[in-house]
Amino acid sequence: MSNNKTIWHKLGNIDYRWLYALSLICTIIPILYPLGLPVQVSGGTIGYFDAIDKLPAGSVVAVSFGASAQLLDEQEAQFLATWKLLFQRDLKVLFYNPLQDGTLMLQTELGKQVIPASYGKVYGEDYVVLGYAPLGEAGEASMGINIRGVYTTDWKGTPLNDLPMMKDINSAKDIDLLIFVYTSCTDVEFPIRQWVTPYKTPTIIATLGCCGPMAAPYYPTQIQGFLSGSGMGTELEVYGRVPGPGAAMSDAKNIGVLPFLFFFIFGNLSYIGNRYKWGVKKQ
Amino acid sequence: MSYFFKKQLPIILASLAGVLMVAAYFLPWQPLQDIKGLMTNWIVVISAATVAMGFVYMTTAQIKMYQKNKTTLQLIYTITPYVFFTGFALSAVFYPGGSQSPEYQWWFSNIYSNVGATIYAIMYFTLASSAYRTFRVSSIEATALIAGGMIYTLRQIPLFQVYTPWIVPLGEWFLLVPNTGGGRGAVIAAALAALVVGIRTLWGKEATLEVQG
Repeated sequence: MSNNKTIWHKLGNIDYRWLYALSLICTIIPILYPLGLPVQVSGGTIGYFDAIDKLPAGSVVAVSFGASAQLLDEQEAQFLATWKLLFQRDLKVLFYNPLQDGTLMLQTELGKQVIPASYGKVYGEDYVVLGYAPLGEAGEASMGINIRGVYTTDWKGTPLNDLPMMKDINSAKDIDLLIFVYTSCTDVEFPIRQWVTPYKTPTIIATLGCCGPMAAPYYPTQIQGFLSGSGMGTELEVYGRVPGPGAAMSDAKNIGVLPFLFFFIFGNLSYIGNRYKWGVKKQ
Repeated sequence: MSYFFKKQLPIILASLAGVLMVAAYFLPWQPLQDIKGLMTNWIVVISAATVAMGFVYMTTAQIKMYQKNKTTLQLIYTITPYVFFTGFALSAVFYPGGSQSPEYQWWFSNIYSNVGATIYAIMYFTLASSAYRTFRVSSIEATALIAGGMIYTLRQIPLFQVYTPWIVPLGEWFLLVPNTGGGRGAVIAAALAALVVGIRTLWGKEATLEVQG
């Protein structure tokens, strides 16, 4: 029973409520007092930026916008920076949504956070929103074969043939870059199997922080760049010089991660101390 | 229902569809490409129908749960999804502009987004406590997993990028060398396994398709 009184045992039995309180405090501090630390740009972000930046004028970019409203903090910086980069350039942008959230998020974010008209872009001529369809992998395949097979109208019910931009855009062969935004880690294989392999469409992806390691094996061969989490969204803001909400999110992570670290160290000190019976006198 | 309609016909249809899709991938014959295009469009339609099926299954599950536990709290749990479902549906149907109307947007922005964000925010606390309870260096494998995960995580935090700059190239190395090597191996292994399952399915030999008894 003497083991129960060692410092190692106490370290391993701290009340969780202290942990929760510390986590909350550490998340609030950087929101109240931003640190504004610089970020270092990773190879995936540079590849992502370059894939957009190197497109010739008039190129067509398809954006499979599968972001989720519930995970906005992870992806908002990514997609706002991406839209700004796209609208800054002479590109045609085609949005479509494989998730219900996507259309609603486009409604709330496009035109409010990023205003295409302020970049001189006109709906139907420079960008089109196709809206939601329950796509999945088969839907991505279908889009690649024939866009009009999936969408006959845009999100407002206008026939695609009435939109000037859509005149010569029919399939993956007419798309110069695919930007695949998703939240389910294994979905990275959808564009690779249905766009990259059959049509050799240059592709970049944007996903959650936890999905980065599953996307990395495809970089830089199948995908030319990738963003994972708000950290890389912030990197894109910095590298592309398109300021956005990412800086505040990265700031919150700066101190918010510390309780995680402290308690990880406490937990392991307790585990090792108990396992090797440090400080316990041998009988 | 006869054995043919219950078991054999679905296997024949699935196998036929699979063979056509495989043939369309390898043979550049236009009629096959047209069939492939048509069938992939059908999948999108079928996917839409499964959403409605999901609603039916959810209702069945909710009723069963309430029958097992007939308490007021369970009744509230059972009714709540339908209240919000009805609210969303009615606002999409009756307000001008449908799902693009400001009213529907209000439901989305003020309820759905916030509830979802709250759930994920609570996960932050769960993750912190799980780091305390379960992230233990109890074996070489666990230590390697923790080291890789920690370095990759810390590499993304500006605080560590500034004060421990060596973590940046190390985090990149973990992501692009061991992770990529292992990840590619896993993907290839999974693809080969999927190929075997696919061939067995086309052949009607997959265990899940076989008639029991």
